[in-house]
Amino acid sequence: MPRITRESEIVWEGSIARGAGVVTGVSSGAFALPTTIASRVGDPEGKTSPEELLAAAHACCYVTSLGGELARAGTPPERLEVRCALTIDEVEGIGHRVVQSVITARGLVPGGDAAGFAQAASAADDGCTMSALIRASATVIVEATLEEGEI
Amino acid sequence: MADRTASVTWTGSLTDGAGRIDSVGSGAFGPLEVTWASRTEDSDGLTSPEELIAAAHASCYSMALSGALAKAGSPPEKLETSATVTFVPGTGITKSAIRVRATVPGIDEAAFLEAAEGAVEGCPVSKALAALPEITLDATLT
Repeated sequence: MPRITRESEIVWEGSIARGAGVVTGVSSGAFALPTTIASRVGDPEGKTSPEELLAAAHACCYVTSLGGELARAGTPPERLEVRCALTIDEVEGIGHRVVQSVITARGLVPGGDAAGFAQAASAADDGCTMSALIRASATVIVEATLEEGEI
Repeated sequence: MADRTASVTWTGSLTDGAGRIDSVGSGAFGPLEVTWASRTEDSDGLTSPEELIAAAHASCYSMALSGALAKAGSPPEKLETSATVTFVPGTGITKSAIRVRATVPGIDEAAFLEAAEGAVEGCPVSKALAALPEITLDATLT
């Protein structure tokens, strides 16, 4: 299988407390975002943080894994909505660390049933490389709901 | 404790469909498109989970290093950090390579390298990605 690499960059100026950085997706050019330490640990005030970028990566990784599992089961999805909430906390003796990532998935799946969707949601968690990485040091919770009609 | 959230919608099949990071809790970005092809072939201007992980790791590392240098009495003027994340379909994410170029008034090479290496361990994203087979560092004092 080919190795695929993706690069991002941040330029930080000034002190950690009062300085600021701009984080850029170098491979795609799809984003250039300001970030500060205050936006990371306190109110985001419209600025992103490493943890929000990880939450976006986990949601994005999980949704492709779930789509693949549903297709493999013969019930490709029409639409999937995945939300990820990632929690960072101060752990005694270790410092700040990611302690939990909660994935909430809703799917509109023609011909799918609740049991099949739950099975695909669980297999998608097993197959998602981000879930495996996060689970090595934190809790990963997946809540999946099959929707009837439009979502 | 801080919670950070992101929401993604996917429409259609994995290979022919497309996803969109609709929004994030801070409102700082979104919508951003993502496809399986942009993840595994040319990015073609679209982001991917691996690029977002690279962004998370580079930004986390910069904050950790800036904090460590300040604690050592040599706050940096400027840090330029990149992270390159490798994804092997079928295997998963295998590596994150951090590269930093730092402008730090009044610090010597040895003290800088010690802070730079310590920041890899100290950054919460490194801890969250501790199961990665490889995290490398290339640190230069400019």
